[in-house]
Order: sequence, then structure tokens, then C-alpha cells
Amino acid sequence: MLAYVIRRLAYGALVVLGVLLFLFVLFFTVATPDDIARRALGDKATPEMIDTWKANHGYDRPLWPWQDPSDNLLVSHYTSLLGFDFGRSDVDDAPIGQRIREGMGPSLALTVPMFVIGLGLGLLLSLFVAFFRETYIDRAGVFLCVLGMSVSILLYIIGAQVLIAQLLRWYPISGFDPDPDVVARFLILPIVVGVVSSVGSDVRFYRTVFVEESSRDYVRTARAKGAGELRVMAQHVLRNGMIPILTRVVLAIPFLFTGSLLLESFFGIPGLGSITVDAIRGNDFATLRVMVYIGALLFVLGQVLTDVSYSLADPRVRLE
Amino acid sequence: MSGGSQSSLREGREAAAVARPLRWAGLSVAGLLLGGLLACSNDPYPQADADRKVYYTALREAPRTLDPAEAYNVTAHAITGNVYDTLLEYHYLKRPYTLIPGLAEAVPEAEPQPDGGVIYRFRLREGLLFAPDPAFALGGEGRTTREVVAADVAFQLMRLADPEENSPVVDPFSNIAGFREFQQALVAAREADPELASLPPHEQYARVGGIEGVRVLGSHDLEIALSGPYPQILYWFALEFSTPVPWEAVAWYDGVTRDRFDDHPVGTGPYRLTEYDKQFRVILEANPNWYGVQNPEWKAPGAVYPSEGEPGDAEAGLLPPDVVGQPLPFIERIEFRREKESIPTFNKFLQGYYDASGIVKESFDKIVQNDRLSPEMAERGIELSKSIKPTIFYLGVNMNDELLGHPAGERGRLLRQAISHAVDEEQWIELFVNGRGIPAQSPVPPGLFGYEPEYENPARVYDPDRARKLLAEAGYPEGIDPETGKPLRINFDSYATSSAQLLQEQFIADALRAVGLDVRIDATTYNQFQGKVQDGRYQMFFWGWSADYPDPENFYFLLTCDMRRAESGGPNYTNFCDPEFDELFARMRVRDNDEERLAVMREMRELLERERPWIEIHHPETYGLTHAWLKHRKSFGISFPMTKYQDLDVAKRAELRRAWNEPITWPAWALAGVAIAVVVPGIRTFFRERQ
Repeated sequence: MLAYVIRRLAYGALVVLGVLLFLFVLFFTVATPDDIARRALGDKATPEMIDTWKANHGYDRPLWPWQDPSDNLLVSHYTSLLGFDFGRSDVDDAPIGQRIREGMGPSLALTVPMFVIGLGLGLLLSLFVAFFRETYIDRAGVFLCVLGMSVSILLYIIGAQVLIAQLLRWYPISGFDPDPDVVARFLILPIVVGVVSSVGSDVRFYRTVFVEESSRDYVRTARAKGAGELRVMAQHVLRNGMIPILTRVVLAIPFLFTGSLLLESFFGIPGLGSITVDAIRGNDFATLRVMVYIGALLFVLGQVLTDVSYSLADPRVRLE
Repeated sequence: MSGGSQSSLREGREAAAVARPLRWAGLSVAGLLLGGLLACSNDPYPQADADRKVYYTALREAPRTLDPAEAYNVTAHAITGNVYDTLLEYHYLKRPYTLIPGLAEAVPEAEPQPDGGVIYRFRLREGLLFAPDPAFALGGEGRTTREVVAADVAFQLMRLADPEENSPVVDPFSNIAGFREFQQALVAAREADPELASLPPHEQYARVGGIEGVRVLGSHDLEIALSGPYPQILYWFALEFSTPVPWEAVAWYDGVTRDRFDDHPVGTGPYRLTEYDKQFRVILEANPNWYGVQNPEWKAPGAVYPSEGEPGDAEAGLLPPDVVGQPLPFIERIEFRREKESIPTFNKFLQGYYDASGIVKESFDKIVQNDRLSPEMAERGIELSKSIKPTIFYLGVNMNDELLGHPAGERGRLLRQAISHAVDEEQWIELFVNGRGIPAQSPVPPGLFGYEPEYENPARVYDPDRARKLLAEAGYPEGIDPETGKPLRINFDSYATSSAQLLQEQFIADALRAVGLDVRIDATTYNQFQGKVQDGRYQMFFWGWSADYPDPENFYFLLTCDMRRAESGGPNYTNFCDPEFDELFARMRVRDNDEERLAVMREMRELLERERPWIEIHHPETYGLTHAWLKHRKSFGISFPMTKYQDLDVAKRAELRRAWNEPITWPAWALAGVAIAVVVPGIRTFFRERQ
């Protein structure tokens, strides 16, 4: 298995190198450093100021190694990102690494409960509707799931803010407080929105898996041997349905670190999603490059983890 | 303790005797849930702050920098304006805008010199202190502050000249004698001695020798020598760019061993920064070292509430007798909360959690009806204030263009005049800014000297017939270019990327098409547009300008030869250049606000009526909303926070917030009931069928 993991990691490294090249082309040739400088300095910036800004930020160097092999942007782009030296923001010169470390906590405070509750609720509801398959509960459940999947998350966000925070006034519309005693008040609403907006597609997927499993021979055998329906669902169907479910779940775990763009932005949570939104709006290309790079790394990691988790969940799967 | 537990045990036994335990369990869970819901509230702030005078406001974007040498946008000024006091300030209520002494004892008079230069002498108040900060330990162990001296202002002026600061205001300060020379000497010295650059800035400046025209005469006297007349320099001493900055703070917050000075302002203002988290919140607390607090007996103009304003202020409740002459500031803390989205921010204002707000586009019709506050809002005690911003939006013509500009001579002039008559700015204002603006007649916006409300620009009258006639005179009858036999093609160079902006440009294109011209909208990114400007490949464009200071010079300079984009990289994007205009500008620039200055401005206006490098569109109007508990707030127009003059009635705020935000819990129970009513019969049916 180790050899397999190493091979997958090596493939992943190639993907990351490719992503870095793509990022470079996108951020340095499609959008030029002039663009970044103008955004950072504002409309009243003179051409002189723009030149000084580019020189101060090292953007006045040649792009490609063949223009200057010893000092060019492409090589420094690769060496800095691969060495996890994230540098400073284009907009305010703040160290990006530090900002990411600060943002990870609030992001995890939002995404981990969202993930755990979402997974638990998804599994529970899908077992529930699979348990009552072919009854009106199952049909109503599937209908609600499809309905829930079809609605944009923006509508959930604004709907929840209007309904729960404005009309019923249970929780603040948005905001945050790092104080652990009160932070939950600010997280409940975004967690509910995050869970509700994703539970539909999860339940529908898990339900399909469980219904398919529960029509297998071993389930019939278990029933014939007199096992109760609850025991069949919880012990046999749930366990055997884990493989397709794992694919979906494990792949999502690394992305818990990157937070959620829309939820953090609308609920004012100072996490990594929020930092990314700021970077997009402010043309902070240095931060964006780092965020995309981290996203690529996490994606590769997620894929390897998924593969490994297969073999743990199902002894028949051998990674060669 | 033990008695209590015994009694509860007894009660428990008695309870068990009268009811089934299951019911109790169910009831206690329900009680917990109910308790949980009853305890919930939508108040985003700590309860402990409810009775404090904390002004809450939203921060839409994080400031790029708080360094007073660089900060140049509204967001940053909302913070730096409270933290850094300046030598001069603006009167809170008077209009036209009037300068008053701030850290300086008086507004200096210009002293013309035989060599053509002008000198201004500032005298700093004695005993001014910087806000407490650990940086002052550099001046002596255990020190947390020190007195403000004239050298601190000189130090900041040298920072403005330092190319490493990349200050946006080098141009206006270059009027100080020796400013550019100091800049060049600094660059040369750094090149000659690379070790110099590793020294703290104040040591580097000292080695280079300072700016010739900035003379520190003792600890409190400062002489600013200009190389020629530039009366507007005084306005620059009312902006944070020229605030005294302690060398200790710049050396201490070096960005290497400690945080950066950009994030650690150390000033002399009524507030000081105590928390700076760009993603979460920014907190300013009243500065205990502020001169208004330390020396209330001075009754300095910038440290007490003013006793006079413009006509109408008293009626508007801006001069309450119990407040006039009272020491500032009234508000003890300013809390900026980071809000990225406008809708949640506005809804929090409606709940009472922000004290003031603008109006989001999406809710405009709900809030403002027939140009007045809707009855629903008025009932809540919300007040609507309107003010015209000292800003102008205009259509510009590239005067270097062969077809439309100077090279086309009289034909080009007639063509520009025709375009000027073809665009209906009133319809524009109605369509695109919800009617929030007034048609611009000349470059000078209201509130500035030389703005004449009764003046109507004859060249800006919307008259398509006149436009067609002018086109015919220019040799393009019905807009047809005789050379091609087709409608004359004009390029509209747009940097709009949003659909809303494109609609605006479509409106202008349609207006010109209506008189027979063929308009092609050439939309690019902002950066590509700048590239076209640099290469001179543009014809018409939409642009705007906001005043840095309230003087008409700050608008007319945009049309001078010296400021041409093509020649000097200046902000004259039209490249308009007319010796007569420049000569008039030179005269108006140096005159005080008197009849002669007005006469010169009228002549300039007339020249522009004829030449039409700008086709003025509108001066935007801002609509602000405030809650009834925010007291004596007057919209200022230019970006100065002026928070020190405002006050809060916290008791009223707490009462209204409570009334508006009482949680409604019954729907939770109704929902739980419905869920049980749906699921329980299903389960029962299932088991019955299985049996």
C-alpha cells in the first residue's frame, strides 16, 4: 500500500506543479502587475506611483527564465510557493502565512460542526427514508431532498437571515466573537444553513446506496434469520454502504480547512473563505495564488486519503 | 446545601408519586429547549457594552494601510481621521467649509517673500501628547508617550517625500521649497551608501539634511516655505498626510522584528486604536492623552462643540444649548465591525445594531418614497439626511484625438458641442442613481467657492435638434460623414465590467445615435483602458473626480496643460490644453475667495462652455440614515469622520433595540408539533403493516 500511496502522491505533485504553471500564466500574463498595482493604489495613482509600487513588490522583474535566468518571476513563483514561503499580500503587505493561520480557526469552527452534523444527519435521515422505502415518508423525503438541492445556497442564507434573525430574532444576522463562551451564538445560523443546504443531496445519495444495499442477498438472509429491521439497517446495510459514502466524505475533509466563501462572507466569520473573498474583490493576486495552491494541495491529499480509506473500510480492496 | 438536596429529593419522590417519570423527562427536555430559545437573542454585542457610549459602524473593506503618509481612501480615513489630529481642521458645521486651528494655535497667514516664495508659520500648542504606546520606550526606558514637537511634523513631511513610502500626495507637497530636491538627495544617498537604507528612517533623513523649506524653529515653531504662491497648501495641513508622526513609532513598528507601522497608528487624535483585526473588528477608544481631555480649560476650537454653524443648523437641532461649548469627544468608543455584504449590514442597522447607514440599492424604494423617508421608517424615528458630495462625473473627450480633439479645430469643437447637447443628464440621474444627484453645470460642485446654484450651462441644455444643427455645421449633416457616406463613427472607450455600468454606457451611446452618430462601445478591463490612455488610443470615456479639499482649484487643475495625462501622467485625462485657460487658472489659483476670483472662474466656465473637453453629467448626492439616538450628526461631504462631535443616547438605544428585537419562540414549538404529527403516524402505520 505504501508504494501505491507514494505513487499517488507523485502523480499529485505533478498536478500541483501544473496548477502552479497555470496560476502563473493566469496571474502574471492575463492580469498584469500593472493591474494589481492600480487596484492597490486607487484611481488617483500616477504612473510614477505605479512604477514605484511594482519595484517595491518585485513585480518589475522579467517574467520568464529566458529573459533573465537568475532573477525572474516564474522561478521565484515556484520556489516561494513550493517552499511554503507565501510572502506578503499585494493589497496591504500583510504576511499571508500569518493571515492563513489566523483564519483557519474560525473556518474550522464553522466547517467541522457543519461537516459532523451534516454527515450524522444525512446518514440518519437517509437510513430513515431507506427504512421506510416505498412509503409516503420515503416519497416525501425524496421530494424534499430534490427540492432542497434545487435551491441556491444564497437563498438559504438570505432566507435564514430574514426568517431566523430578523423575524423570529433568535440569533444575530451576522457577526463573530472569538470568545469561546459566546461564539456558538454566531455559528448556529451559518451551521444550520450549511447543513440544510447540503443535506438534500447527501440524503438522496446515501438513500440510493442504502436502498440498493438493502435489496442484496445478504440482507434478505439476515432478515430470514430473524434479525430485526433496525439491526439490519444499522449493522449490515450501513456498514456495507460505507464505500461509496466514504468517497464523498473523505474527499471533503481537507476542504474543511479552506472554509466556506459564501457562508463566511454573509455571516461575517473571519475565516479563510472570508480572506479569499477579500482577495478576489481586492485583486489581491498574491493571496489568491496561495489560496488556489493550498486548494490544489488539499485536493490531491483528499484523493489519496479516499483511496486509503477504501482499504480500511473494505478488506477486499487492496491498493497495489 | 445538604438541606436543599434533601428537599429536592423529597419533591422528586412526591412528583414521582403523582406522575409517570417519562412525562417529567419529556417536560424537562421541553423546558430546557424553551429556556434555550428564551435565552437567545439577535444582539451581536456583549451585554456589558449595552450601557456604554459605543458607536457601532460597519467596515465594508479592510483598509490597505493606516500609515498617514499613504492612506488615501474613505475606509482608512474613517480610522486615521480619528486617530491622527492635524495642525488645522475643518469647522464641523460651517459651510462653505472653513478651516479652524487644530494642533496649531492659529490658522497661519501667507507671508509673501521678495523672491516670489511664500512662508506660513505654524505654532504648535504646548503640552500636546502622543497617545500612549510602547514605541516611546525607544526615547527612554519606561516611557509611554512624549510631547509633540515641530520636528514631528517635519519628520512626516520628509516621509511624504520618501519614495519608499510611495505617498499619493507628493505633487501638492512639492510646492514646498526643496521637497523634490530632498527626495532626489535621499535616493542618491541610498544608492551611494547601501548601509544607509538599513538605518531607521529618521536617521536616514537626518543624514541627508532635511527639506529646505521645512524649518523647525524651536520645539513648537515650524516654518513652511513654498517656492511660489499655493494657498491650497493649508487644506493639506488639515489632512492626515501632514500630521505629526513620532519617529519612535516608525522605528519601533519596523515590520521585521515587530508589526508594521501601517497597522499601528500612533497619533494625537481624540481616539486611539486599541484593536485592529482586519477580518473581524477595529476598536478605537477615547485617547486619554488628547489635548481636549488633558487641557479642557483651553476650550480649543477643535476640542469643544461649536457655537455657530450655517443657517438652518439651529433649527435642525445641531446647536443645542446644553451641548454648545461642551468638551469633546462624547462617544467613548468606536467599534467598526467587518461586514462584507451590504444586505445583512443594512438589516442590522434596521434592528438597531448599527447607529448610522447608507441605503442599499435593493431597499431604496422601501426606505425612500417620493424623496422622503417612508412612513414605516419615520415611525421608527430614523432620520434621513441628504448631502451633495463634492464630486463630479463627466464624459471626457480625448483632446489629442484627430476627430474630436484639438487637431480637428473648429469642426471638432462643434462636434463636442453637439455631443454636449445630445446627452440628457436628468434622465441619467433618474435611471442610474435613483435620482440621487444633481445635474452638473460646471466642474465646481456645490459647497465650494464659485458654485452658483442659479447658473445653467447653455452648452448642457438637452436639445437634440440643436445637436443635429451643430453636427451639420461641423460638416456632418444628420450625423453622416461625407467621406464615407455613413454615420460618423465615434468610439466610446469603456472600462465597465459590470452589466449596470454597461447599461450606463449604452444610454450615452443611444443618446448619440439618436442624433445620427454611430457609436461603438469599446469595453475593456480597467487596466487595458489605462493602457489605451497611455498610448492615446481613446476618444470618449466616462470619468469622475472627488475633491481632496474644498477649493475649486482642486477641480479646475484637472484641465490644465501641466496635468495632461499624455505629457506628464497627471490626472487631466482629456489632455485639454488651452493657454488662455491656463492663464486664468494661474490667477484664480492664488487668489483668496473674493469677487475677482469669482469673476475669473466665470471666465473659465465660459471658455469651457465653448470648448467642451468635459460634458458634465452629475454631482452625486448621498442619502444617509441615522437612528434617533445618534445626536448632532451633520453630513460632512469630504471624507472626515467627525465622530468626536457626535453623541449617543444609550438608554434610548437600549430601549428601542429591546422593543425591536424581542425573540418570537412559538414557531419553534409549532414546527416541532407539525414534525411529530407527520412522523409519528408514519411510524405507527409502518409497524402495524409489518405486524
